[in-house]
Amino acid sequence: MTQDPHPQMEDFGPWLGRQLRRKGMSQSELAAALDVTRAAVSAWITGRATPRIDKIQAIDELLGLASGSSMTREETPDSAGSIDWHLRPAHEDGGRELGNAAAFAFDSNLAVLAREATQNSLDERFDETRAVRVRFILNELTGERLRGFQEAIRWDTIAPHIKAAADPAQKVGRVLADGLRELHEGGSLLLLRVDDYNANGLTDSEYDDGRFAAVIRRQMDSHKGDQAGGSYGLGKATLWATSRFGLVIVNSTLSAPYEGRRDRRVIGRIDLPWHKRDDKGYAGPAWLGERDPRRNGAARSWWAGERTVEELRLSRSNADPGTSFLIVGAYDPSGEATTLQEMHAALVKSLADGFWASMVSGRGKEPVLEASVEARRNDKEIVVPEERVDPHRYQRARSRAVRAYKNGETVDSLTSADDVVAARVPLLVPPRKTTGQTQPVEHSAVLLVTPAGDDEERPNRVAGMRGTLMTVSDRAVGDLPLGAPRFQAVLLAGHATGINDPDGEPKLDATLAEEFLRAAEPPEHNDWKPTEDLTATFARGAVSRLKEFRSAVLAAVRDTVRPADGGPADREVPEALQGLVKLDPPKPVKSPGYPTVRSASGEVDDEGAWRIRVEVRLPQREDPWVIRPLLRFSTRSGPRPEVPWARLEPLEECEVVDGSDLRCRSGARRVVFIGVSDITGHPVNARMSTVEVDLMRVRGGA
Amino acid sequence: MRRILPYPVVVGALALEVEAVRLDDVSLPYEMISSSNRTVALHHLRHADWCTARMNVTVRGPAAELNAGPWRSMSCVVSLTERRTNTHTTTRLPMTSELGAWSGQIELHRDDHVGKAELTATLVATVDGVAGREIAGTDDHWTIDLHAHIPVKRDDLVTRWVDFNDEAHPWLRVYRTDPWVVDTSGDTPTLYLNSGFEGLRLLLESRAPADRPAKEALAGRIAMDTWNVLFDAAAQGVRDWPGGWRETVLRRMLPDMYTDRSPDDALRELSTTDAGELRSRVLHAAAKQARMSAALGAYIRAIRGRPQEEK
Repeated sequence: MTQDPHPQMEDFGPWLGRQLRRKGMSQSELAAALDVTRAAVSAWITGRATPRIDKIQAIDELLGLASGSSMTREETPDSAGSIDWHLRPAHEDGGRELGNAAAFAFDSNLAVLAREATQNSLDERFDETRAVRVRFILNELTGERLRGFQEAIRWDTIAPHIKAAADPAQKVGRVLADGLRELHEGGSLLLLRVDDYNANGLTDSEYDDGRFAAVIRRQMDSHKGDQAGGSYGLGKATLWATSRFGLVIVNSTLSAPYEGRRDRRVIGRIDLPWHKRDDKGYAGPAWLGERDPRRNGAARSWWAGERTVEELRLSRSNADPGTSFLIVGAYDPSGEATTLQEMHAALVKSLADGFWASMVSGRGKEPVLEASVEARRNDKEIVVPEERVDPHRYQRARSRAVRAYKNGETVDSLTSADDVVAARVPLLVPPRKTTGQTQPVEHSAVLLVTPAGDDEERPNRVAGMRGTLMTVSDRAVGDLPLGAPRFQAVLLAGHATGINDPDGEPKLDATLAEEFLRAAEPPEHNDWKPTEDLTATFARGAVSRLKEFRSAVLAAVRDTVRPADGGPADREVPEALQGLVKLDPPKPVKSPGYPTVRSASGEVDDEGAWRIRVEVRLPQREDPWVIRPLLRFSTRSGPRPEVPWARLEPLEECEVVDGSDLRCRSGARRVVFIGVSDITGHPVNARMSTVEVDLMRVRGGA
Repeated sequence: MRRILPYPVVVGALALEVEAVRLDDVSLPYEMISSSNRTVALHHLRHADWCTARMNVTVRGPAAELNAGPWRSMSCVVSLTERRTNTHTTTRLPMTSELGAWSGQIELHRDDHVGKAELTATLVATVDGVAGREIAGTDDHWTIDLHAHIPVKRDDLVTRWVDFNDEAHPWLRVYRTDPWVVDTSGDTPTLYLNSGFEGLRLLLESRAPADRPAKEALAGRIAMDTWNVLFDAAAQGVRDWPGGWRETVLRRMLPDMYTDRSPDDALRELSTTDAGELRSRVLHAAAKQARMSAALGAYIRAIRGRPQEEK
């Protein structure tokens, strides 16, 4: 891009055009009022001519602006009251929508929100050589700050409508009623802000096709770009579904100017169900914005001032293009995460699970994605500091595999714990129904396999992904050969195979495979399986090709981890004897039938004697236990010398008998005592020793 | 058993990983290293004449705790030990750029070892002005097995079919009328099954459902005899845990022999129990290891012709 994203002052023409639209005044009307020809006004607006100074003053007056506004290109101040909620009237036919179908299509929770929002941001990546940065900020407002925020979003205009729509007989109505009650009783409102930077932003016009209209005006419109798995499609509904009020405010920095401007394009949208207020019916949705006089009271986005976006909690942290969504009254629709800490953790986990590969960077290159999550209270108080999601922390083995591939460091066979093996898996992409082509094209997907450490909770799985490196499928690999090491595998298909070479154009086979696999993804983008889209778009046999690909992947994984020398050698143990003569160490017993030392701690006292507090767990028994604690000095090998006690002090549930034994109270499950060692029996200075306490059951102790 | 030290030690765990092994500069396939079994198998058919095994190891400790604790001049050492040759080799690992992690190469010389070596890691530091104090160790050691070709952690009993009449095994001829013999004299105990004993192999390897009760009762009987012999071999003259398969046998059987004593306490008790009582306790533990009661119960029901309840 060569254009300066920050023009010092915009041209007069676009400015004038916008002011006329705001006023709902046509070019001819302005011409008549100023006593000039319509052609002259047209020339001003298209920038072919500039009006004289007296005409400019007259324009200020006509538009109701402060004198000199046309010179400085100032806008009508926001506080002038032109920004408010504009509700869509009820349908003439009496039709009623009692909820947003797209929002119901998803099983909503915070993990889904993080996944869908981040996926949209990746699909809208602007500069392909730089990372998309997404930032999730939880912010809970109370007291004065809450009141100030409510004023900024014109809460008092919309709140009566929320109340009117909160019909407890409907699913959406119940959520609204809950939200109002929480706000009223708890006195706090949770905001969840979802930012992306280095993304396209909400470009294009107010009502026609384009990113802005796709997000703000339409439901189910995915405005598909080339890479998109449906950017801003169904997924955007999760933003609204995460608000108790269905209320989201948006501030976007555009990558391409609209009306000659880029910064702070702001609009709000609330998705209420049909409702009635003061005997007037409303269809449900409403927009926070400027009244559009030419659209019968519909609302337009406005170019907000810096102060306004600050009051709306929507100030962006730099000038990079992208969008900030503010979810007002955010909550976890599944009810699992309730505290700020839990919500923070849920978002981090979802980002790490879904996008670890996108966040892995190769040597000297930026990753595709950077993501962070933070939680605050009242703007300033940090509850959980900003955590940049580190893929190597959450997916150690898999991240290592992707990094090795990006750096060209993969090998052919495993010899070390951090080796990454790369293998090729063929995918036959069938021709599309619409093209004349009849032959399938072969694409080579890349399979990466690396040993998994003991700390990997779910080893022996293969994660599949394409262009954006989002994890689409995650499957366990069964029927592993005997003696195979624990591993993690990653399958890179389509454009993902070229991730080590971002400058070159993707190959045709990769692009075809990308399209094929995208068609095989359900709306949640969480698997590759036969879908309607797949059978509708591709020639007969598409489903079989997909199945073949899947089994080829599993076979390739098994091949890679198969031990070279075959399985266990010629064992001769007859099957019937197996398991009866095994010499494995025994499993630890959960509740042993004998007294055990539950904790022992102590230090060397001033006299140089060990003073140790011991807690003993006893199994249930009627008869009292009699035990003798033994103190030993540890040694590296050989017998451990036993040291006599100078005294035993019973603390709980026991008494000393015969000087060296403890009789526990009948029925006691836990006894505590202190033992002090006899210095004269020490083989070495206590300060240079390590000791152990052992228990012996006293014979005859009834 | 709890160890108590007179100075602050690390609470978090110390993890030891063997990442790669080379036998005289030839890399061992990774499947011969098993992280989950904590075992390395060194017997590779194509490189049988090696002299030195070099292993890349990494030790990771709780970084935050190590950073905040009172320990100074920390260093990390790994030790290779083998009881049978009484070999102790200690190597100090250099620190890595990762906080709380040490990584390096250690050598195992074949001449110093005969069977299995244990690999452990220890953190030592200066505490309260005293240098060289142990502040953390690995809970679980790695086994470096010189004779294994797959990394399984098991001192398994070897089972072999042999014709006791065969000239090749002259010492077994004494037992030629016996169906089986247990030999505990070698490194690994061996159960010899007499393939010259008519019908033994036929029954033990039969897949016919009708033979199943008899087959399982027979297997239980063999197993019970085996545990009996193994116990006597393991317990003979024992004062402390003997290590190896002998220790495993004792640890498996002692809890059934003395249910109300800890394993250490039970081991002490062995020497004071009189011979007759000891025998009954061993029989009981051997029967449990061999799951004798279930097998015998099924057999009796089968020969009495009473149907078994469906499971």
